Amino acid sequence: MTRVVVIGIGQSLRGDDAAGLEAVRQWRDKFPETANRHGVRIESFELPGLSLLDAMEDADAAIMVDAIQSHASAGTIHRLDEKDLSTFTLDAKSAHGWGVAETLEMGRLIGKIDRVTIRLIGIEAEKVNPGTSLSQSVQARLPAACRAIQEEVLAITDK
Amino acid sequence: MKSINVPALARVEGEGGLYIGLENGKAVEIRLDIYEPPRFFEGFLKNRFLQEVPDITARICGICPVAYQMSSVYALENALGVKVTPEVRALRRLMYCGEYIESHALHIYMLQAPDLLGKESALELAAVAPEVVKSALRLKKIGNDLLKTIGGRSVHPVNACVGGFYSWPDVAQMRALLPDLEWGLGAALDCVRWAVTLPYPDLEIDYDFVALHHPDEYAVIEGDVWSSNGRKLSTADYEQGYLEKHIKHSNALHGYTVDGNTYLVGPLARLNLNHEQLLPLARKSMEEANIKLPLKNPYKSLIARAVELVQAYEEAILLVNDYNPKGPSCIELKLKAGEGTSATEAPRGLLYHRYRIDENGLVQSAKITPPTAQNLPRIEADLFELAPKIITMPEAEATLTAEHLVRAYDPCISCATHFLKLKVDER
Repeated sequence: MTRVVVIGIGQSLRGDDAAGLEAVRQWRDKFPETANRHGVRIESFELPGLSLLDAMEDADAAIMVDAIQSHASAGTIHRLDEKDLSTFTLDAKSAHGWGVAETLEMGRLIGKIDRVTIRLIGIEAEKVNPGTSLSQSVQARLPAACRAIQEEVLAITDK
Repeated sequence: MKSINVPALARVEGEGGLYIGLENGKAVEIRLDIYEPPRFFEGFLKNRFLQEVPDITARICGICPVAYQMSSVYALENALGVKVTPEVRALRRLMYCGEYIESHALHIYMLQAPDLLGKESALELAAVAPEVVKSALRLKKIGNDLLKTIGGRSVHPVNACVGGFYSWPDVAQMRALLPDLEWGLGAALDCVRWAVTLPYPDLEIDYDFVALHHPDEYAVIEGDVWSSNGRKLSTADYEQGYLEKHIKHSNALHGYTVDGNTYLVGPLARLNLNHEQLLPLARKSMEEANIKLPLKNPYKSLIARAVELVQAYEEAILLVNDYNPKGPSCIELKLKAGEGTSATEAPRGLLYHRYRIDENGLVQSAKITPPTAQNLPRIEADLFELAPKIITMPEAEATLTAEHLVRAYDPCISCATHFLKLKVDER
């Protein structure tokens, strides 16, 4: 049974958009004892879409890690609840406009993720242009993103 | 009303807008403005080794990567003059079933049904009919699971190669899909029953339907290019019958017959031309729902997709039950210079590839003609047919009616805009 699923989201070919994928990868390497615990599952999604719902439906909690563009300075780590998501105008850039917020709303409407508590760790992006490298300001904050993931996972698994 | 302008179409794949210019109560100009940036895939492929091609072309589309892989592997095998084993061919058809399932389930329920039911989006549909949407998501997920089992991942699978597959998928994992596939077949049959009850706008058009045809099976991966106007060409001669033109307002080329006429590819064309090759349950589902062919209403492509959903589930069950991999998963290739073409039926319609390779297997030239590029002039022509009716409507309703027609085609603008020529001046 999955207690918590950690989901890295982002496109690896779109610069800082990959920050979520990279943060989850680094967290897994840095905190292997937590990452390999029974009940902890790791997923990564290049395109979130509706399959996000399948990834989390059997979990008690989902921690999504994704790049965000708001007006904060690049590299800022946001820690959000599901209800905070709607305050971000998510520019989905994905097939048929299914962004994270719409997908979660769909999941709630059809009762697919009723028992899942959702947390989002957002990493403020600087550039989301085509390319495989993260900007320095985002790179420098990845350790902080890893610590945030670790805290969120422990908060659930140590309950 | 002066004109209808939709700067960005919703619920289509990729970025495009729609403009209908009116003068004295008549539509004088209709444009599908395709401003999705060109993606230069044919340029990327130059000087790449042939085994890289399937995985590069798969990236053209997140919804139909298998179609791009299949058209490219067959074209390159034709260039080398090799034929794959029957086991490989069966697995390719099974992989294609997965793609039809996920693509059709998405379009039927999430993209087009909201229009027919007067809902603004799938979210609104989910609010009033959560069970329908829940079952739609399960139908789609099973397609993705099938792709993952064969291709390693559910989007942009990676196992297909020129000559076959890099490895045989695990037999036990494959058989474990059967309960879900059986459930999906039942749900797909329900989908056909439901599809015929939806309220479709009146619009009948005498299309020139174009699709692959195979005498022994519902053509998906091999066959000749047939047209309802009677043209029959081998895929090697496809360019003798069909060409592409550059149009100022579109980053996607427009497909025409060599006589300069529009034509239609996709589910309606396939079902109308190939219904005799459907499997028994798919055919029975049509009889029971009293579906009469030819279907000439573009909105009713949803019904054709529903029948193909049954076909895909029915075929997937047969192929999974028969799956018994023997021998090498990939034939040995001897490189030589040559040219090869292929067409397969992507969920949205015929997808043509042509490659010329040198003696080292490096691509010298590539041509890719996606289904949406072939349908774009036809969509504009349909909108002209629709114009007399919609100009009498209030503006919001007229706009929605026009948008709905475009969405009924399930256009994939991202697929269609990959081919503008990139000129690089070497200094």
